[in-house]
Amino acid sequence: MRVNSNDPEKKEAVSRRAALLGGGFSLLLAGVGARLFQLQIADYEKYQRLAQENQFNTRIIAPLRGEIVDRFGRTLASNRQNFRLLLMPDEAGDIEEALGKIGRFVDISDDKHARLLREISRTRGFAPVEIVNNLDWDDFSRINYELPHLPGAHPEVSETRNYPLGNATAFVVGYVGAVTDRDLQSPENEKQQILLRQPGFKVGRDGLERTYERELRGVAGAMDVRVNAHGRVIEEIKDTIRPPAQGETLGLTIDADLQLAAMKALEGESASAVVIDIETGDVLVLASTPAFDPNIFTKGIPTDLWRELNSSPYKPLLNKPLGGIYPPGSTFKMITAISAMRAGVKPSFRVRCNGKFWYGNRFFHCWKRGGHGSVDMKNSLKHSCDTYFYTLATQLDVDLIADTARKFGLDQTFELGIPGQHSGVVPDRDWKRRYYAGSPENQTWFPGETLSVAIGQGSVSATPLQLAVMAARIASGKEVRPRIVRFRGDLESPTPQAQPIDLSDEQLDVVREGMYAVVNEPGGTATRSAFDNREWKLAGKTGTSQVYRITNEERARGLTKPEDLPWARRDHALFVCFAPFESPRYACSVVVEHGIGGARMAGPKAKEIMTAVMTKDPAKLKPLSPGALAQGDETTRRG
Amino acid sequence: MASIILPGPRRGVQDQLGRLHWPLIIMLSLIAGAGVATLYSVGGGSWTPWAGTHAFRFAVSLIVMIVIGLISIRYWLALAYPIYFVALIALALVPLIGEVNMGAQRWIEIGPMQFQPSEMMKIGIVLALARYYHGIRAEQVSHILYLVPPLLMIGAPVGLVFLQPDLGTAIMIGATGSAIMVLAGLSWRLIFLGVVAAIGGAIAAFRFGVLHDYQLKRIFTFLDPDSDPLGAGYHLMQSKIGLGSGGLVGKGYMMGTQRELNFLPEMQTDFIFTIFGEEFGFVGAFGLLLLYFAVIMTGMNIALRARSHFARLAALGICVTFGLYVLINAGMVTGLAPVVGVPLPLVSYGGTVMLTIMAGFGIVMSAHLSRDPDGASL
Repeated sequence: MRVNSNDPEKKEAVSRRAALLGGGFSLLLAGVGARLFQLQIADYEKYQRLAQENQFNTRIIAPLRGEIVDRFGRTLASNRQNFRLLLMPDEAGDIEEALGKIGRFVDISDDKHARLLREISRTRGFAPVEIVNNLDWDDFSRINYELPHLPGAHPEVSETRNYPLGNATAFVVGYVGAVTDRDLQSPENEKQQILLRQPGFKVGRDGLERTYERELRGVAGAMDVRVNAHGRVIEEIKDTIRPPAQGETLGLTIDADLQLAAMKALEGESASAVVIDIETGDVLVLASTPAFDPNIFTKGIPTDLWRELNSSPYKPLLNKPLGGIYPPGSTFKMITAISAMRAGVKPSFRVRCNGKFWYGNRFFHCWKRGGHGSVDMKNSLKHSCDTYFYTLATQLDVDLIADTARKFGLDQTFELGIPGQHSGVVPDRDWKRRYYAGSPENQTWFPGETLSVAIGQGSVSATPLQLAVMAARIASGKEVRPRIVRFRGDLESPTPQAQPIDLSDEQLDVVREGMYAVVNEPGGTATRSAFDNREWKLAGKTGTSQVYRITNEERARGLTKPEDLPWARRDHALFVCFAPFESPRYACSVVVEHGIGGARMAGPKAKEIMTAVMTKDPAKLKPLSPGALAQGDETTRRG
Repeated sequence: MASIILPGPRRGVQDQLGRLHWPLIIMLSLIAGAGVATLYSVGGGSWTPWAGTHAFRFAVSLIVMIVIGLISIRYWLALAYPIYFVALIALALVPLIGEVNMGAQRWIEIGPMQFQPSEMMKIGIVLALARYYHGIRAEQVSHILYLVPPLLMIGAPVGLVFLQPDLGTAIMIGATGSAIMVLAGLSWRLIFLGVVAAIGGAIAAFRFGVLHDYQLKRIFTFLDPDSDPLGAGYHLMQSKIGLGSGGLVGKGYMMGTQRELNFLPEMQTDFIFTIFGEEFGFVGAFGLLLLYFAVIMTGMNIALRARSHFARLAALGICVTFGLYVLINAGMVTGLAPVVGVPLPLVSYGGTVMLTIMAGFGIVMSAHLSRDPDGASL
């Protein structure tokens, strides 16, 4: 071995090759040096610019959502500070440990824990996740105090929607909710993607919040920020702020006091009430019970609550005044009476009622066994005599009744801006043809059906809003159109000038007086609904609409009283009215689902609501004008 | 012990220390100093978590280097094969007891220490091949039978490292081994055949999917980095932005925005040259390259003046390894080579690589101390 160790031949070979190696290294390193020259000197400006672009980003500043206020400026929807806690996963280190530490201060359920982990893995840990929101001040300040020991935790103050009246205005105002994929894909939001993707950003999901989303949302502001590679903001460049513009204020016609009074009157029932200012069409009350609390919905609806609300027979998710449809029952008799006068029947036309009416091959019963004796048109309303209207029906064409009904607001929807309005049904020959389009043998209109329609049964249905409009139109003789938004931003909707209905006052006076008699004359069906204050006069009409026909077999078993029926089979109770009788200003409808009797259940509630209306008399008070709400207190609300 | 450290009874330790190649030590320290400074910046102006440890590790490694250097090259000749085989066995054990990290299995834990056998093999392959060519005659180098042992010596570790999988290290071990064969005087005909075989092997690797997806992706992105700015080419693009925006003199120490804003991954290891170049500009980056070049030239100079064939080849082999580290890393962060995860020696954070490099220069130092005529009796 030693023999070879200093073999000169080997040494020489290595020297030659080493020279080549040294040369090779020199060349390659020179190549790297040249590359450095290219990057750092030749293309310096390009990379300098790219480095700048890397650093700066535009951050969206979410606008404050416009407020919604009642006719006197009382807040129905506003923005409230929301104390929440975010977690920056990449700062937290061990996520489990971080969540465990935070869990000592706020409750993190197993469910939520799993959801957070999923979210973190989805964003690969680079985006903040919301651990909890709507913290109370105590918890929030405690977390802030403990912050040094909570890796990755970022307390934050943001804005959240607040509905001070809770469930009382749930169906008017609606609620906001998290942005969905459908919102993001909507062409309307094409240019708002960044704003919509802000963590915690909410959009209107129902009610006016949804309809006026564009107006309420406001315009996002922006600010240049310095970001790191993960897009995390590390510095705000304050002098580049372009401030956001708050959404427009929505001024409603609703009177919060009266709305609350109506909710109270209806409490415990599955019911609705509508009050309309007859002169302006302003909807003062739009009450629906039971209702949900939109404040809970805004935070994300818990599954079990959603299931409970959805399966409840009282339908707390249904906006009953607009979307609930009921056979109007006897409240429809004004329409029939007016139709009869249009057909030439004199108000003095009398019918003798003995409790039943033979038509075709069967008896049609009056609600009163034994009958009302001889009644004229006015008294037929006062007593709500079915026989009188059966008699009229035999002489009337259903198409004329339907035409009258439409003049008074039935079978149509109004431009309120609240989604979910139902048009109800006013049947006529044409309707029946369309309804039975698939089976021509059923398309013929039978005269017997007109009898049902005449007393507001059969296929007739209407919403409580339509019934209130009907009462308003009867009272005023004008095509009163309900509205609920008085102004948005600085833009005041003009007070609508209602056109007169082409009917004579004499004809309308007959039904007006009939309605007056219902409440104020002895023997009227709703005398107990007369105002306690005798100076005020209410005119109204009861309605009891059949939901379930008691079978002969049941009658034979002794089941005659509606109280014996299960709740869902009891009759609906309705009441429509207006006041004061001499110079009508307010019209009202009340529908109590399965309330058994209009006089018993709906009338007294209408009285309670209308007493509150008459006491406050909101039409005499000056409503809030647009722009009167100072924008100045915005700073305090922003915090 | 004394007899191991001292080549002969003629010199004392102090004398030996005086004969150390101090310029080499100073240059290595300068490079490591650049590493500490950059890691301090990467740590956001803090000794933790990197800069302090790096400085400490360098101090320890420097002592290891000097100790290795003081040991006579004769002993390293004797230990060459044992070191190689220990490294080979450790490599073979990795799949059985190793830690899986980022889809690759490279580490073995020994008590509290983590240890990368592939790094030890970088020295092992150099020593073993130098030992091998030390023992054969010049005319045997290109003889077909004498080709088999070195090819096996290279092939076994390359195969094992490739399976981990660690493409970068496999290439480095293969390239270092091949370089030593060439340096030993392999005929040009065989060199040509070897190059053809290597290219064929590379093509086969692509064809038959021996490469992992991420390896392929890195290679493809290397070919067109701007095509995929947020995918695999993102890091390379950001690295180029970092270097390029450094300009002539850099943004200033601790002023790098790409660093500050975390646009680069693995700033403390693979992309540290970018940070250095961003903060110190072309002047700094090119200066650092020159320093590396000077180290390599010094090492080669020592090698060529060594008296034994083993010392010569071993020292050259270390220079090749060191040079490959620098070229691959610098090439990678400037977009000249694929991102294969090779650190910049002595600057990148990482204990095993630091120790490997310094141990290697210990061998170079040993060759240096064994050079003079008195010690020629090796």
